[in-house]
Amino acid sequence: MGLTRRRFLQWAGATGIGAVVFNGCRVPDHEIQVQSPVQIPEDLVTGRDNYYATVVQGPGSSEGLLVRVMEGRAKKVEGNPDYPMNTGKHGLRAEALLQAAYHPDRIKTPLRRVAKGGPFRPIGWPEAIAELTRVLTEADPSRVVLATAPIRGVLADVTRRFADSYGARLVGFDPLDLTVLRAAIKRVFGQDALPDFDIARTGYLLSFGSDFLGTWLDPTHFARGYGEFRQGDRERGYLVQVDSRFSPTAAAADEWVYVTPGSEGLLAMAMIHTIVSDGLGDDAAASALTGGRGASALSAFAPSAVAERVFGETGGGAERIRKMARDFASADHAQALAIGGGSAGAYANGLFNLTAIYALNHLVGAVDPPNGGGLVFNPPSEEPRITAAPLREWKQLISDMRAGAIDVLLVRDANIDYGLPGSLGTREALGNVGTIVSFSSFLDETTALADLILPGNTPLEEWGTDIPDPGPGYRTVAFQQPAINRFNDTLSFGDALLETGRELGFGDQLPWATMRDAVRDTARALHESGRGSVTQPTFEEFWKRALERGGWWDMNATASAASAPPQLPTAAASPDLAGDEDQYPFFLVPYEAHGIGAGGFAHLPWVQSAPDPITTVTWATWLDVNPTTARELNLHQDDVVIVGAPNGRFIHVTVYVNPATPPRVVSIPFGGGHEHFTGVAAKRGANVLDILADTEDAETGALAWAGTRVRLTKTRTRVRLPKLEGDELAVQLPGEEVIEVQHVRR
Amino acid sequence: MATQTKASAQRDNPKWEMVVDLDRCTGCQACVIACQAENNIPINEESAFHEHRAIQWIRIERYWEGEFPDVKARFLPLLCQQCDNAPCEPVCPVFATYHNNEGLNVQVYNRCVGTRYCGNNCPYHARLFNYWEPVWPEDLRNQLNPDVTVRTRGVMEKCTFCIQRIRRATRGGEPVEDGTLQPACAQACPTSALVFGNSNDPDAKVSRLKTDERHFRVMEHLGTDPSVTYLKQVDVDG
Repeated sequence: MGLTRRRFLQWAGATGIGAVVFNGCRVPDHEIQVQSPVQIPEDLVTGRDNYYATVVQGPGSSEGLLVRVMEGRAKKVEGNPDYPMNTGKHGLRAEALLQAAYHPDRIKTPLRRVAKGGPFRPIGWPEAIAELTRVLTEADPSRVVLATAPIRGVLADVTRRFADSYGARLVGFDPLDLTVLRAAIKRVFGQDALPDFDIARTGYLLSFGSDFLGTWLDPTHFARGYGEFRQGDRERGYLVQVDSRFSPTAAAADEWVYVTPGSEGLLAMAMIHTIVSDGLGDDAAASALTGGRGASALSAFAPSAVAERVFGETGGGAERIRKMARDFASADHAQALAIGGGSAGAYANGLFNLTAIYALNHLVGAVDPPNGGGLVFNPPSEEPRITAAPLREWKQLISDMRAGAIDVLLVRDANIDYGLPGSLGTREALGNVGTIVSFSSFLDETTALADLILPGNTPLEEWGTDIPDPGPGYRTVAFQQPAINRFNDTLSFGDALLETGRELGFGDQLPWATMRDAVRDTARALHESGRGSVTQPTFEEFWKRALERGGWWDMNATASAASAPPQLPTAAASPDLAGDEDQYPFFLVPYEAHGIGAGGFAHLPWVQSAPDPITTVTWATWLDVNPTTARELNLHQDDVVIVGAPNGRFIHVTVYVNPATPPRVVSIPFGGGHEHFTGVAAKRGANVLDILADTEDAETGALAWAGTRVRLTKTRTRVRLPKLEGDELAVQLPGEEVIEVQHVRR
Repeated sequence: MATQTKASAQRDNPKWEMVVDLDRCTGCQACVIACQAENNIPINEESAFHEHRAIQWIRIERYWEGEFPDVKARFLPLLCQQCDNAPCEPVCPVFATYHNNEGLNVQVYNRCVGTRYCGNNCPYHARLFNYWEPVWPEDLRNQLNPDVTVRTRGVMEKCTFCIQRIRRATRGGEPVEDGTLQPACAQACPTSALVFGNSNDPDAKVSRLKTDERHFRVMEHLGTDPSVTYLKQVDVDG
């Protein structure tokens, strides 16, 4: 006999279930007693969990983490409250490290290509190390290149020792390298390490192009300061963002000042001119900056002479520059601070721009001020670090590869096939390299061309240290330890180098059996110093306590004083944009994507699905276009356009009509358009690096990634952008505001 | 003495609330992803956004004001407001959602039959429906939080103020020191824009901030009596 609906209701009506189902008006008291809220609805598991401290480093960031582990599996990443850089907070990329560790598309075992161009076959680690040893033994070391993403700490030491011992050329790679910023800091302050910015105690923050709340350097660290800058226990700080793009930092700013791309330095110089000529700044600094000639040395930068070039069609004029200068130098607010980076340093005149921007600090006493709120310098790192080489060096290297002068290329997270400008022809050049060996955990574009893959660990699985750059203003060494055991048959890059080094016979230069031993040696030196945040009678106690805290720092180990202000140039440097205005009417200002960065995080589902803060777009690449410009070009939301560059290269991108985009500017986030790099990243969006001109900063040779003009051609295709926002633009309705605002007079 | 006793009693009978300072918020999405990780929220594929069915217990709404060059983008982190007068509660035919004695609007997953009446009635769109069975690639399942139920297809879900963390912190019966118990979103928030605590504790930070001169509650005119208080963003004019 089947249970029909009628029969069920008859039965239920005569039972306790019926009492619940049909008692519609109220919950029977006894049921609340039985299924009490104490255990509903969370179904608690009361197993033991452990927390392990570790650290993850990026080219300009360092986040101390606590990893919650249950039964050997990492469950959650949290910020380490002890670690000076992020003090308990963390960003979305750090959270997604879990997905890197457990990614279904990880390379799970060493792979060797059966024949050139043939498929991979899995091999064991002994065979992989033996094969790498054979390749290196047979090669001429002068024709071997080791390319890596920027590294700091013990791994940098091991990598450099390996390269030096063998005789290979060591080159760092980062698509958006910090070469220009480092050169500017060296020139203006004589410092080798990047400085920290004491945003929390700053009263007036003037930021040029640096999206420090979004993606620039260490956003989590800066955001800690920003929260206090806004609503800490001091007077609310004032933020001015000078930028040719409306970034998340521009959205947070009290004023967003649009400037013509590449004119950031001109604006800064014009402000310096005003401060010097009006006697608003430090006299000694003004004299040094102008070679003792005063404002006359800067006559080329008089506000009236540069205002039109700076503001373009948006107007503003010389008086606006003078007002900005007076506001910046005013004594009515707490310490002023000027910072710059991002697109401001990504033109042919990048170093000119950043030099002028950071020089502003000398005039307002922002160079390590006694009461805080300015630049805080870091002690020079005693440990080696590997920074990214500028484009100029990579061009030479690609040229050597094309000429067949490179026999072996070892790559570790240096995805040059994806990350160098398309016009360099990197893939063709890689085809002329005898053997490519990759140590990457994922099959990125460069690894897909490899002959041998020795898959590395992810950050939660390996030993290491980090010396943050920028640091917090004093010597800091973070310890990275495996929060979880290796999840696949992988080996950390450092351990692979140590093992191969022994096979090659230069174990003397690499005196550690494992990376753990190398980290312990670093710890031993810190223990013997008897200084800093962890001091213990025995080394083993020190080791345990330092790992528990996530590192060691010595607040008394600070930097030397900044050098005297440099003399500023008397003439402006040109941004030298590629393409003439008539044929290529739009400035292309690309930007690091909020989640996936310059493409290195595109394989992580959480990061891909995190909406861009400004457009709310996810999982895609888009083109920001001003609404008026869109109307003029008959472009609509979700239209696909061809973005063409003067070098003849082009990409297809979907339009996002962005009310904050300037009329002559279009923007595209980096990070999309992967051909490989897991099923999450592949065949998704477009890679704006493909079309960039290979223009360099004139002095440092770094990629001028914002120095390309483009034209737009409408296609008949439409592709709906996946985004959190609805199909209509979400706007505040006057008088019906969802988000209330407090207006105050300045 | 009497005052101390009263304060102690208030601490022992917590009322969990949150304050969101919009002047600190930068829309960075750290809270969104921290919540995804902590609460076993399914991965939102591209199609979920196309269909406006992405599941985010906390999301960052972005509202435009004006157009270039006089343009503003304002951010609003929006999560279940844990309303004291919750419109979602009386419409549930199976009592899957109710108000507990700590001020939380609680969702009982194994009672939910998926009528979605509660979602229809929530003016904040804070309730999310599982239109599909959540699927994680096998390896990624290792990350799932064992403290939190994975919801099945046909079940409504929403922010719980990380009730699993509340239960862990209060299991021993000891009063919870202010600031030590945080939901994943507040814990991650780099600018400390999200502040969580027991508003029955007069010394708690959340108690002080919720009466700040900048306080407001989203769509307060609806009478939902939310437990989430927002502090206005400050615009400097002139």
